[in-house]
Amino acid sequence: MTATIERWECVKDLLHQAMQLIPERRARFLAEACSSDYALRAEVESLLLAEEDVRSSFLELADLAGGPAAEPDRTDAAAALAAGQVFAQRFQLIRKLGEGGMGQVWLAEQTSPVRRQVALKLIKAGMYDEVVRERFQSERQSLAMMDHPAIAKVFEAGATPQGQPYFAMEYVPGLPITEYCDRKKLQIGERLELFIRICEGVQHAHQRAVIHRDLKPANILVVEVDGKPMPRIIDFGLAKAVTPPIAGESLLTQLGHLVGTPGYMSPEQADPNLQDIDTRTDVYSLGVVLYVLLAGLQPFEAKQGQKQPLDELLRKLREEDPPRPSAKVGTARDTSAAAAAARGTEPRQLMSLLRGDLDWIAMKAIEKDRARRYGAPSELAADIRRYLNHEPVVARPAGAGYRLRKYTRRHRVAVVAAAGLVLLLAAFCVLQAVELRRITRERDRANRERDRATRITDFMTGMFKVSDPGEARGNSVTAREILDKASNEMGRGLAKDPEIQSQMMQSMATTYSNLGLYARAHELAKRVLDARLSLLGPDDPKTLQSMTRFGLILQHEGHEAEAEKLERQALAGERRILGPEDRLTLETMDDLATISMGRGHSDEAEKLEREVIAAEARRQAPESAQTLRSMDNLGVSLCYQARYAEAEQNYRRLLDVERRVWGPDHPGTLKAMSNLAMVILSQGRLAEAERMYREVLAAEQHVLGLEHALTASAMENLGLILTMEGRLTDGEKLLREAFEIRLRTLGPEHRDTLVSKLNVSETLFKEGRVHEAEKLQRETLKTQLHVLGAEDPDTLGSQSDLAKTLIRERHYTEAEKMARQTYEAQLRSLGPQHPETLDTLQQLGTAMAYRHRYREASKLFRDAIEKGSNAGGRGNGWSAWYAFACVAAAANHPDDALQYLREAVSRGYKDTDGLMADDDLKNLRYNPHFQELVAAVRRPPAKPQSR
Amino acid sequence: MASNHRRTHRYAGDPPGPGQFTELLHHWTRGDEAALHALIPLVYKELRRLAHYHRQSERPDHTLQSTALVHEAYLRLAGAQAVELRDRAHFIAAASWLMRQILVDYARARRASKRDGGCKVAIEDLAALPANGDAELLALDDALDELSRIDVRQAKIVEMKFFGGLSAPEISNLLGISRATVDRDWATARIWLHRQMSKGGIAA
Repeated sequence: MTATIERWECVKDLLHQAMQLIPERRARFLAEACSSDYALRAEVESLLLAEEDVRSSFLELADLAGGPAAEPDRTDAAAALAAGQVFAQRFQLIRKLGEGGMGQVWLAEQTSPVRRQVALKLIKAGMYDEVVRERFQSERQSLAMMDHPAIAKVFEAGATPQGQPYFAMEYVPGLPITEYCDRKKLQIGERLELFIRICEGVQHAHQRAVIHRDLKPANILVVEVDGKPMPRIIDFGLAKAVTPPIAGESLLTQLGHLVGTPGYMSPEQADPNLQDIDTRTDVYSLGVVLYVLLAGLQPFEAKQGQKQPLDELLRKLREEDPPRPSAKVGTARDTSAAAAAARGTEPRQLMSLLRGDLDWIAMKAIEKDRARRYGAPSELAADIRRYLNHEPVVARPAGAGYRLRKYTRRHRVAVVAAAGLVLLLAAFCVLQAVELRRITRERDRANRERDRATRITDFMTGMFKVSDPGEARGNSVTAREILDKASNEMGRGLAKDPEIQSQMMQSMATTYSNLGLYARAHELAKRVLDARLSLLGPDDPKTLQSMTRFGLILQHEGHEAEAEKLERQALAGERRILGPEDRLTLETMDDLATISMGRGHSDEAEKLEREVIAAEARRQAPESAQTLRSMDNLGVSLCYQARYAEAEQNYRRLLDVERRVWGPDHPGTLKAMSNLAMVILSQGRLAEAERMYREVLAAEQHVLGLEHALTASAMENLGLILTMEGRLTDGEKLLREAFEIRLRTLGPEHRDTLVSKLNVSETLFKEGRVHEAEKLQRETLKTQLHVLGAEDPDTLGSQSDLAKTLIRERHYTEAEKMARQTYEAQLRSLGPQHPETLDTLQQLGTAMAYRHRYREASKLFRDAIEKGSNAGGRGNGWSAWYAFACVAAAANHPDDALQYLREAVSRGYKDTDGLMADDDLKNLRYNPHFQELVAAVRRPPAKPQSR
Repeated sequence: MASNHRRTHRYAGDPPGPGQFTELLHHWTRGDEAALHALIPLVYKELRRLAHYHRQSERPDHTLQSTALVHEAYLRLAGAQAVELRDRAHFIAAASWLMRQILVDYARARRASKRDGGCKVAIEDLAALPANGDAELLALDDALDELSRIDVRQAKIVEMKFFGGLSAPEISNLLGISRATVDRDWATARIWLHRQMSKGGIAA
């Protein structure tokens, strides 16, 4: 028989006494002491037998027992308690319920003033002095005042005349909540309802300034009242009531807490930096309880009940991000079947049920940074209530509702690729016409010419056929392979006429370029240019054409300075020799526009393209290939200037024409679709954009293959959308893939490759993997500084991102330095109203605010806003005020923040979902004035006038 | 931070100075539970480090080994700062619990590695502590858990004596109970634990 709790004192006592006797005397002693309690006697005897062996055991080595006791035995009052006794004159002890960390807990019957069953908690305090007594009194007051159905009532707290402190509490014969829910196989919804009631109870206590500090399932019991489950939280604030100064059992209490409940300890408690405990500590513990109710395991638990090395646990608690509940169910195969059954469902269904809002709620409650947690149990309960009512929850990351200005630079739209295929067709026509002219002119060479023409025609037709995606559709051989074959063959068959060879090489260069194979294109185009320069001289139209074409390819490859030089040279020549509205001139203007955009001069690009379109319209060719190309570019330039609504209109028109003229699977059409999707994305219509991108990506992969800039673009933008929607893992995957493609096709120093890398880092940042994000950003920045220079918009953008990351890592000094440098440069090159400039200003302001220079930061903003309005900025001007508000919110100046938000709203900001979900404004979320503002913006009649 | 007399290595990362440690200890003994929570990781780290580096004794007695470590940890953490005896005793009380965790973790890992044929092992150097006695240690750990379900104080007394090396008078002072009670608890606990451990087939 193993010793039970009640018996043990008795057993111990007898054992000890028996040990003092010689073996022969023991039997009689026991017979007397135990009388008819045979079980007791057997137990003691069994232990006495063990005594024999102990002498040689390793426990013996630790025996440092000294001589017999010299002091009188200061018996602990509590040790002498037994069932049946009356305690404090009105509690009749029934049985010992257990040995808590604090002392014994007895079930007792209160006899007066009222008859009821209570749980009597006896605090073992050997040294009991004034300080403790005082604290005890004050705690007692607040504990007695708590009156909530979810909190086990403390009826009285006092001390016996002998000085034994005690609490008489409501006896709660319930099960720990996790056990209860499992046993009753409660479904998720029912569990959540129960949980809400618990939150309400804890909230009630917080409002009376009592923090529990030790919330865990063992302290949250569930009883059934009229068949309905009701939670009861026990041990509220008791730890605090009796702790200081540590004496005797209090010491054990505290150590006991640690041993018992490491899983529920909040990260701030595990952090060696001394921090005070506040209500959010309870929120954390509640979060862990919620997590277990949902997933069946604690966040850092691998198997139920398995002990982990302590420092592992502490480290994980401090550093690692736990998996989301749905992911936990997915990975913990052993337990998920049982866990799902206990929730009335199957593992896979459980996973999908938890995925999304419930995941977010649980994770927000157990955030390591307590500023990011729910601030109070009532907030947690409110979000769960929202979930149950199918309303959007606050915990969702900023995806639904996102800020327009944040993503402009990400959208590296594929640089305009000339529609080479159409050109090919045109070249074919030209060639045919030329051939025909020759034939009619020189009749005696008719046969020979016809032969040649036939050969050319056959060859071109062959190539054309192959390059026509209409043919390639469903064909397993890609356009690229056949083009390669053709270009190799070209050396043979038609080599004789250098003129024709040049022409075809030029076309093929363009086609290669179309397929994104710039190295091959470069090779061919350069050959043509060199040949023509030497044969025809720099002023020949053909030479100029090669210049233009080669320039475009250089631009694709990222050699922008060279490209620009060449194009300008070509343009000058073309204007002079061919005239300002010649097709080639327009083509060159188009190319120049592309280059300008790459260098951040979008307004120049817009101007050029509008000229081109106008010229084409005058030539009665409003649907010419050139017009289409230029319209496409015009759209891009509008995007870069953040004029998205105009850009969308532009693209929709363009798409209509292209579908008609080229067909829906033409690479040009796909590119326009891709650009349209980007524009829609830029306006925040995520779901729509996601659909479009998936379509585009599938088509591009099929027609162009994976190793194409367009495909990479679509993949990247799709990845960005997923990231914005909060689907970080999927998003990261796609972004990394896109990055790899660019790395392979463009090399590590290409502008687009670098931007891809940054996009990956952005996702890592969102996932909280801040160090990894920083690493990538620094790498990228290093390359950009080297390749693009310090003033390049992309370089500046990276610096801005890095500053943001540094702020998150709390390296405010470095962040400020970096942000300042970047801001000044962007002011110079982009102007004060540009989205990127404002983004950087926000980082700068935030870093300064965290370094306690909020005033200074405010001044910067005011300057910027003034500058912006003076310059007659194109935008509506709300961005600056919004950014200002973010900084004010982060710096804990809510009144300022609200004022600035109102300014933003009066200038046309309407995105209320964005307001609610924006992490930068989280300090305002529960501010009633903020909520009023949001409501006001939603209601159209009350909306302030937009300018 | 290089001002004091410590001769061995620093921790990676930000090492706590002796001032912080004694301050935490002081706060804890005056009743601040949060200080304990901050203290534990510090102590744990130090104990682990020491356990790792002390390879010399191959003796099977975990007691002398661990008590020496606990005392050494104390010296390292407190540096040359004067600390009340009472505070020191508190430290040992906490450290003995930690020491137990550490030793048990080592023992478990060693046994696991033996079973798997010595493949992946999380703990750097298992030779740090004597290899025999693992089974006994684990059995003791379980038995102590059992005992604490019945009598928390008694289990703690065992822990403080066995792992921390506190003397009976010190324990009596710390817990505010009589010397006789401590002796009685220790004596009877030994027997009970031994019987408990024998049940599992582990003979001492």
